[in-house]
Amino acid sequence: MSYVYTVARIRGMENHLLEPAFFSRLMDSAGIDDALKALGDTSYSQWISGAASFDKAIDSEILATCKELETFVPDKELLDIFRLPYDFHNVKVLLKGLFKVRGGDSEGRRYDLLSKLGTIDTEELKLAIETEEYGFLPYGLTDLLPKCWQLWEQTKNAQSVELLIDDAMFKALLKVAEGLNMPEILYWVKSRIDVENLRSVIRLARMKYESAKALPFLHDGGTIRADDMARLLNEPQETWARILSYSDISSVLSALQDSQDIKLSLSEVSKSLDDYLVRVLENAKYSMDAPANVLLYLLTKESEARNMRVALVCVAGGLDREFGRRLLSNGR
Amino acid sequence: MELLGLSLALFGAAVAAALAGIGSAIGIGIAGGAAAGVMTEDPNKFGSCLILQALPGTQGIYGLLIAFFVLSKIGLLGGAGAVALNWNQGLQIFASCLPIAVVGWYSAIWQGKTSAASIQMISKKPEAMGKAVILPAMVETYAVLALLTSILMLMGVQVG
Repeated sequence: MSYVYTVARIRGMENHLLEPAFFSRLMDSAGIDDALKALGDTSYSQWISGAASFDKAIDSEILATCKELETFVPDKELLDIFRLPYDFHNVKVLLKGLFKVRGGDSEGRRYDLLSKLGTIDTEELKLAIETEEYGFLPYGLTDLLPKCWQLWEQTKNAQSVELLIDDAMFKALLKVAEGLNMPEILYWVKSRIDVENLRSVIRLARMKYESAKALPFLHDGGTIRADDMARLLNEPQETWARILSYSDISSVLSALQDSQDIKLSLSEVSKSLDDYLVRVLENAKYSMDAPANVLLYLLTKESEARNMRVALVCVAGGLDREFGRRLLSNGR
Repeated sequence: MELLGLSLALFGAAVAAALAGIGSAIGIGIAGGAAAGVMTEDPNKFGSCLILQALPGTQGIYGLLIAFFVLSKIGLLGGAGAVALNWNQGLQIFASCLPIAVVGWYSAIWQGKTSAASIQMISKKPEAMGKAVILPAMVETYAVLALLTSILMLMGVQVG
């Protein structure tokens, strides 16, 4: 189906995205009330009812964007690629809550951490997991959830369960992307797996992990094999970019190599990895009918929301503004 | 054989009008899709979008022009009655119609795509309207060359 209309409409919507300079100005607000007043002319204002509500308002804005795109994007699965990770996030939140409750902590449930951005209604998901009625759940969750409980019973290790869920999420993402038959989207999903693996490798390097023990933390399905990612841990950090020079992600590692200090550069690299995922799709900008523009717009909107959150948290919490500015991404 | 000549000439006129017209319809459809998308977000861009959407329509007009030229040449316009054509003359007229038929068809579709891209461009940079018109107009060059070729060829065909 043609994406000419879709992409043209997205081009129009892009005009309403907020510039990075706006967030920098937002951070200069004297207090949260001033900052919220500055949002008056933006699309976020319709969701903000008070200083305490800005976090939910940001989610509402992204959800409204998804709903709007749903009305005119020919392949709904493209939106699922963006929203599906939020379903798995919700599954993690609900399961961890139940683990705590069964461990004796009656206050363990954290429904406030559930995201509305998933494709499955949070109430329905909550009910399904609480009652262990998984039959209707999509993306392989029907089979995954009993496995999670089984693993929890055996190990009582929430991190192992989390890794199992992440693994299932990437498999589900790959399945949806393969079904779409759009090479650039499949490549993006694979790159996302690479990014997640690289993030894990960087964290493991900080904890002085050996490559042999790293494999359970890495996921298959990326453009770089999980084994090859794990082997990075045997090599000095400054050689990683050269080792992975056959992959596009090596450009991000150059920043790591230049910094010479893995601890200092961690937030920088994490930001670079997020920007890299946007860059992977950037060629679509030059096409008038590439479906990847839909995902690119959503990622840019998500990046805008992240910047909004950083700016408002900085203002509300009276945090160092310069530190906040460094955390802003240049997604647009 | 006399009828075959006339039939070939009419077939040429029909092909010129039909293929170039189909190309224009597709091209305008593509550009129209983009225009609708942009105007959903900003209805004020109607004027600019309309100009860019109309550009791929010229090939259909060129095809019609050649069809009229052929009909006039073979005497079907003006009420004087059809001139006698042998199959060789009919084939020459048919061949003369091919440049605008084929080039008109393809160029209109590609011009529509370029117009769609230009419409997306003015959605973000309205001040670039001049450049946005030039880009699809470049595709037009080849439709004009094909029209010229068809006209010159038709003028060279001796009938009657």
